[in-house]
Amino acid sequence: MMQGPLKPQFTGARVTRLEDARLLRGRGRYLDDIDVPGTLHVAFVRSNRPAARIVSIDVEEALAVPGVYTVWTAEDCGITMYTERYDVGQPVLAKDEVRFVGEAVAAVFAEDRYVAEDAAERVRVVYHPLPPVLGFDEALSDEGRRVHAHRANLFHHTEHQTEGFAEAFASAPHRAQATFVTHRQTGVPMEPRGCMAQLDAATGRLTVYVSHQSPHQFRSQLTELLQMPENQIRVIVPEVGGAFGIKAMLYPEYLVVADAARRLGRPVKWVSDRTESLLADAHARDNRHEVEVAFDEEGRILAVRDHVFGDTGAYPFLGFPGAVGEAGWATSMLTGPYKIPHVSITVDCVFSNKAPEGAYRGVGGPVGAQVQEGIVDLVARHLGKDAADVRRVNFIRDEDFPYQTATGNVYDPGSYAESMEQALALIDYERFRREQAELRRQGRYLGIGICTFVEPSAGAESEAGSTPYEAASIRIEPTGTVTAALGLGPSGQGHETTMAQLIADQLGVDVKDVVVMHGDTDSAPFGGGTGGSRSGTIGGGAALRASQEMRQRLMKLAAHLLEAAEEDVELVDGHAQVKGVPARAYSVRDLARIAYTDVARLPEGMQPGLEVVVRYQPPLSTTYSNGTHVALVEVDTQTGFVRVLDYVVVNDCGRLINPMIVEGQIHGGVAQGIGSAFLEELRYDDSGQLVTTSLMDYLLPAATDVPRMRVTHIETPSANVGGFKGMGEGSLIAAPPALAGAVSDALAPFGVFVTEIPVHPQQILEWVQGRVHSA
Amino acid sequence: MKPISFSYYRPKSLAEALDILAQEEEAKVIAGGQSLVPLMNFRLSRPKTLVDINGLRELAAVEADGGVLRIGALVRHQELLAHPLVVQHFPALAAAAAEIGHWAIRTRGTIGGSLVHADPAAELPAATVAHRGVLVLTSAHGERRVDADAFFYGYLMTDIAPDELLTAVELPLPSGVRYGFAEHARRPGDFALAGAFVEVAEAGHAGAVTWFGVGGRPDRQEMELSPDAASRGRQFAAALAELDGPEDEVEARYRRQLAAVAAEQAYQRAIASGRGN
Repeated sequence: MMQGPLKPQFTGARVTRLEDARLLRGRGRYLDDIDVPGTLHVAFVRSNRPAARIVSIDVEEALAVPGVYTVWTAEDCGITMYTERYDVGQPVLAKDEVRFVGEAVAAVFAEDRYVAEDAAERVRVVYHPLPPVLGFDEALSDEGRRVHAHRANLFHHTEHQTEGFAEAFASAPHRAQATFVTHRQTGVPMEPRGCMAQLDAATGRLTVYVSHQSPHQFRSQLTELLQMPENQIRVIVPEVGGAFGIKAMLYPEYLVVADAARRLGRPVKWVSDRTESLLADAHARDNRHEVEVAFDEEGRILAVRDHVFGDTGAYPFLGFPGAVGEAGWATSMLTGPYKIPHVSITVDCVFSNKAPEGAYRGVGGPVGAQVQEGIVDLVARHLGKDAADVRRVNFIRDEDFPYQTATGNVYDPGSYAESMEQALALIDYERFRREQAELRRQGRYLGIGICTFVEPSAGAESEAGSTPYEAASIRIEPTGTVTAALGLGPSGQGHETTMAQLIADQLGVDVKDVVVMHGDTDSAPFGGGTGGSRSGTIGGGAALRASQEMRQRLMKLAAHLLEAAEEDVELVDGHAQVKGVPARAYSVRDLARIAYTDVARLPEGMQPGLEVVVRYQPPLSTTYSNGTHVALVEVDTQTGFVRVLDYVVVNDCGRLINPMIVEGQIHGGVAQGIGSAFLEELRYDDSGQLVTTSLMDYLLPAATDVPRMRVTHIETPSANVGGFKGMGEGSLIAAPPALAGAVSDALAPFGVFVTEIPVHPQQILEWVQGRVHSA
Repeated sequence: MKPISFSYYRPKSLAEALDILAQEEEAKVIAGGQSLVPLMNFRLSRPKTLVDINGLRELAAVEADGGVLRIGALVRHQELLAHPLVVQHFPALAAAAAEIGHWAIRTRGTIGGSLVHADPAAELPAATVAHRGVLVLTSAHGERRVDADAFFYGYLMTDIAPDELLTAVELPLPSGVRYGFAEHARRPGDFALAGAFVEVAEAGHAGAVTWFGVGGRPDRQEMELSPDAASRGRQFAAALAELDGPEDEVEARYRRQLAAVAAEQAYQRAIASGRGN
């Protein structure tokens, strides 16, 4: 990738994260650290009913609490987040009707959060309960109540079938079926959501601080919903302590806070507590896939039929109704790394009286991979073949690229089979199979699960919006240090380091001399933000292109000053010199000084200063990274507990910018995958109450649940500049199926085949003690 | 997630603490705060007054006296699990204390707080019942002693009166018996799903099992413990069938199964502790 005069020093190296000096010392400045005198703190009164008509709201007693400034209901703040496509609007404060437990009904503004919560308890809401709609079947049934009275619960229906599917399916020698279910989960960033807004008394501009992934998209949405000119709103995203997709969504609380700041003339702040987070952050993964697979004697899969049901909850998030995003991704990637010629896909997405679904890392990827790997394991079990062998029979091979899938994607080159072979070698698969048999005789149940994932990354569209490009501005300051700004919205991924690595290499300066800024719409160029594994690839591409352009400027200036041809000049160690003649050189510092303050020496036509803004749009609408996860687990058939004994990952995200950061992303994704497979579930009871409203009930993986894992890399470059592919989600896409598959493998002697996650220990005991049979 | 407003006292003596408890309505004692503070933040507990006993150092002692180990209410879990007298005389108690929460929780949480809170899945109430402890309850009117078995009523309910302070727990030093402990939790540091203390006589088969996590309070059942594992398993199952479990059938079955597994492990540990000596 680095053709030209530069030898990369930082790109591809394990550069220590520049962010860590402040983050690890507790000096990061997060949303809740923003402390402005005179701020009003908000507590929301939230619905405790899944479905009810609002008969009345009495705020008198709340207003009488000392320290309360005012209380708002829908009458005071009538903003509605309306999705034209489905003709459904979500009022930012519930109007006339509540549709899920946790929906904001009123907002109390007070001197501090304690008083605000005291007053919130005193807001009297009289509800007339309505029968809640809580599942796919209920939502779709003719007798089921409508969540939105004016429209049907089924709001999204698609069908796609390849030409010749029916015949291929009917004529196949074997068929099997399974229903895969994933339960509701959410991202649970360590830092909860929050928003703070204040009006600048002097200029009348509104500054909105928010813990978010896409500063510019957020500003656009505010512009529209608050009906304010864009240049009157400044969005600042401070340090973000985890986001995982849920912070790419637009939430009602933010609009209440921003509207209040401008209308009450006081700074206003709201930070979610953990219970609010579990109630009202974007939920995800509430999906069911009814699958039939047709295959031949060798295990070659000939056709797959998938009927997907997605429950998006009460309202569609603006621009990203979660169930549609999930079903779309899961079915688009249904064939994964396999050559499956025929598919028949039906998608039904419904509204229900549960919290709205939005993006969570991997979106429909983990669910699709669960189906994709589930059917391969199902075929293996039907035929009595080894699971790895069935994969070998079906893999897309090197000679097949670019490969068009039956679902219409065009895969750029990857390393599907190779990644699996390397992963199996790492875990010593053949030896494991022998040991597994021996241990079973001793009553110990170990199993291996394999997931070879394909991750669509750096797409033109994602939960971060439809911005197919990213922007980078680079400025060399008069003293020669570098300041860059991007439109990204990092939440811990280390962009300040990776972007600096790319820029430093191009400009021949030290990585520590590059400051990367983001998150402030007043200084960052308009960009798409972070989501859909786009930042490294598209953002990195922009950083690379911008710094290449800056390099040209430096070379041109240096050549002029050195009285040499441009092609004879090189940039080395912070100096522009005539190739091989270090004596004839200008430092970047000198060049910068001349560019700003000694402009008479500039070549004719060159503008003073050193500043560029570049937008980069990749040539591919999507680039596909890939890899294989292999999980080795032991199931304790006495307690139902699953322990992950070993875990290997062979990852291919094209050219690596910083392997350490890539591995960190993988570690985190596998940890979340362990949560997905075994621990995390947002559970609604039969009356529509969410019963997992604290981290005592919604269990996250702890350090003790996460094994040491081994990660190695293959680099199959993409056609994008730099050869990068996105990789932010692949690890959470692959881990749940690998782990679920490992449990199926461990418990094969009991006839267990896992089709539903998370897998609970109670369930495992019901299976092994023969009370309940799995699929 | 903020508590309601409350008055706060930090008495300098036991007498002062007891006076405040006698005078203030809806007062709660706070020590480590590891259960109380979350409950207050959820507004599930709404005391008008907090009496902070962290300054009462006289409640923080562990001492052996006349065949009894007296553990002050303010002894932290981390001190308990490492205290030489506890380790020497009550190794099962030390092992159980090590399973409470995480290090940060153990350095704050106190034995008194755990006993008075009476979570049915907590280790220390069960340990106190298993070791036939006596709780010392003190008020402005004097002191009374209650057997652990009589102290715990059910889920988060005990015999303590609003004006009383649990000042210590007394455990008779074991003689002629050995104890073992085991529990199973979803993740290390979580409240146990189920657990057991098993007591075995050094001679003969007499013994007892104290179950926790299955019913609403720790339950001690005396039984002749068969030396045969399969028979023991049946004994445990029969004993567990007598306890009220969770309402959900699958969950109840699961808790009993885990409790039986824990009891067997605890039994093995009790036997092994004898061999070790």
